[in-house]
Amino acid sequence: MRVALFTTCLAEALAPRALKATVLVLEHCGVTPEVPLAQTCCGQPMLSNGLPADAAALARRMCAIFAPFDAVVTPSGSCCSVVREKYAGLFDAGSADRAAAEALAARTFELVEFLETRLGIDPATLAPKAGVASDAPALTCHDACHLRGIHRHGCTAPFLSRAACGELRDLPDMEQCCGFGGMFSTQFPEVSTALGEEKLAHVASTGAATLVASDTGCAAHLAGLAHRKGVALRVISPAEALAESLGLLARGDA
Amino acid sequence: MNELIAPALPFDMKPRARAAVADLKLQQFVGNATHLKDTQRGGIFDRDFGADYDLLRTVARDTKQYALDHLDELLARFIERAGESGATVHAAESAADACAIALGIARAHGARSCVKSKSMVTEEIGLLPAFEAAGIATLETDLGEFILQIDGDAPSHIVTPMIHKDRVATARSFVRELGARYTEDPTELTMIAREHMRGLYRAADLGVSGANFLLADEGAAVICTNEGNFDLSVGGPPVHIVFVGIEKLIRGARDLAPFLKLLARSGTAQPLTVYTSFVRGPRRAGEHGGPKELHFVLVDAGRVGVLASGKRDLLRCIRCGACLNACPVYRKVGGHSYGSMYAGPIGAVLTPELERAQGGGDAGLANYPDLPRASSLCGACYEACPVKIDIPKFLMHDRARLRARGLSPKSEGATLTLWRWLAERPALFRMAIGAVRLHARMLGQKDGGRAWLKSAPGPGAAWTTTRDLGVATGEGFRDWFVRRDTKGGSR
Repeated sequence: MRVALFTTCLAEALAPRALKATVLVLEHCGVTPEVPLAQTCCGQPMLSNGLPADAAALARRMCAIFAPFDAVVTPSGSCCSVVREKYAGLFDAGSADRAAAEALAARTFELVEFLETRLGIDPATLAPKAGVASDAPALTCHDACHLRGIHRHGCTAPFLSRAACGELRDLPDMEQCCGFGGMFSTQFPEVSTALGEEKLAHVASTGAATLVASDTGCAAHLAGLAHRKGVALRVISPAEALAESLGLLARGDA
Repeated sequence: MNELIAPALPFDMKPRARAAVADLKLQQFVGNATHLKDTQRGGIFDRDFGADYDLLRTVARDTKQYALDHLDELLARFIERAGESGATVHAAESAADACAIALGIARAHGARSCVKSKSMVTEEIGLLPAFEAAGIATLETDLGEFILQIDGDAPSHIVTPMIHKDRVATARSFVRELGARYTEDPTELTMIAREHMRGLYRAADLGVSGANFLLADEGAAVICTNEGNFDLSVGGPPVHIVFVGIEKLIRGARDLAPFLKLLARSGTAQPLTVYTSFVRGPRRAGEHGGPKELHFVLVDAGRVGVLASGKRDLLRCIRCGACLNACPVYRKVGGHSYGSMYAGPIGAVLTPELERAQGGGDAGLANYPDLPRASSLCGACYEACPVKIDIPKFLMHDRARLRARGLSPKSEGATLTLWRWLAERPALFRMAIGAVRLHARMLGQKDGGRAWLKSAPGPGAAWTTTRDLGVATGEGFRDWFVRRDTKGGSR
């Protein structure tokens, strides 16, 4: 099985550690991912902001770049959902582009989803041999809203919990959006911020100092808000939580 | 009409949204009520339908879609059957037509007073202002609508119109407007309103209501209320007018069950509304209750235009309000921020679309340019919708129309176009990403393995009004990946 890592531009710019962790976790699971160099942006910003033709141009690139691979894996929930749910609709039914988009959608996975559904990995087998490490932090997990569309909303925390990544504490009102929403965060900054602050308050109520967020954008929004407010909060991706627990990455590295 | 739901156009949502976010009472009332209803909605569907919930929604979606696809046929059948039962059926192409029909009926009976039960379509057509202008004193009999009426306020939620107010405000209004003694006890407050209304029901010349469903087979309307106020408004006055959008038609009672199962559960987490009333024809010989004359005013007001558009799905909406309760943005900005009687996610797509379909063309969106953008596209509305309307899809569609017609900010469009241009040139794109990272590393405050920008340049400026921008300072991913590869690391 040839597996490609779909890095996403946001993760390359802001969260390279999430990508490193994804590679390390996949390798731990016996999969050697390749990184097609020509990949850039999937077109989500254009698609969400009224430029579907521009998004289609980038979707076409993505389909071509990932055509040789049996599976495409990304740590970013929203970018994954765009490929899965939106790409096909950018092209006319019956066209070659449509067929390519549908084929890519069928082979694209969010990391935890890939491990669980495609590789069929029992998360318990990812638990550290010695049990939960003594320095394992208490975690709480916020799933990206875009995971709803691919029916993975609420699946990350149970997986991480069973993989003994740490003590997973339920995040109250996890269902509510964190307020990121791509450019919504800058178009309605007050609303976006108010939602982010509500999310941070729920995170604080769990007592966990580490938040796992399954989308790079949500993570940047929440980490940025916390930092501005002087709240000590570490925000990591599910991949990093797994890699740290498996000893593939040192806790606290950036 | 009230400026809160019929504002000066074009409507600027942002000042209202900002004010709402800063209004602690509104945050508390709307936030608590919507969270509670949304949680209870999930709970009652789990309890009563479990895994079959999705099937139920699919059935409702398809049933309503079938009705919309056969609307001509169902309309003809409804008109025929309602006529057979002795009701008078009117067709109103526009809001003005609908009001004129009602005024004509009122005039024919010399009506000076009217009792009205809750109806969104009467808000839409501006019936109350038309009646008031014609000297017909109209009483809102839904308790929430009544409180808003005496306060000169406007509804901010489809189902719970006074979600933005509380008991204290109501108590004060009752003291001020009704001369009641001050009490915050809900039962006592209800009794005060009931006392005030009972006499008015009996004295009214005219009853007015909306309808939740129209049954073509039976020529009947179905009205769901929790207060029984519809039954009083139809039982007392000699004449009753039912205003109803033509999209409320379904084939008949045979198709009603899934909607009754879904409507109250979705809206208020009740198995059924307290009253589910069927009205068919005026009072017959030997009957003791009901109006001597029953009129149905079938309102188009843009619906035929929506039906012919790519947004036909929107007409499936059964006005349950679940999408409002589920929406993170509605929870924060409240209903009045949408500048329409239809607030929340469904309102954000329906308001400009109805205006377009009534001949407004692009003005529909030009008048409400913020509505399609006021969403994080989180999908909670779609998930909550009992008839599976893909609201995020339509929001995105409207964003494209805004962009194509030059109605969205130009600088934003330029940024996105540059982004796409770069994205088609991988080497340049990587350099741009490198530049962002370098900028942050040089100017950002280092903390916890990240460089934090307090004020980002260009398009990032709006981000850093409330947030820092954190960029990892460690080695870039591709450098790391290539280095491992050439070192022959683990692969």
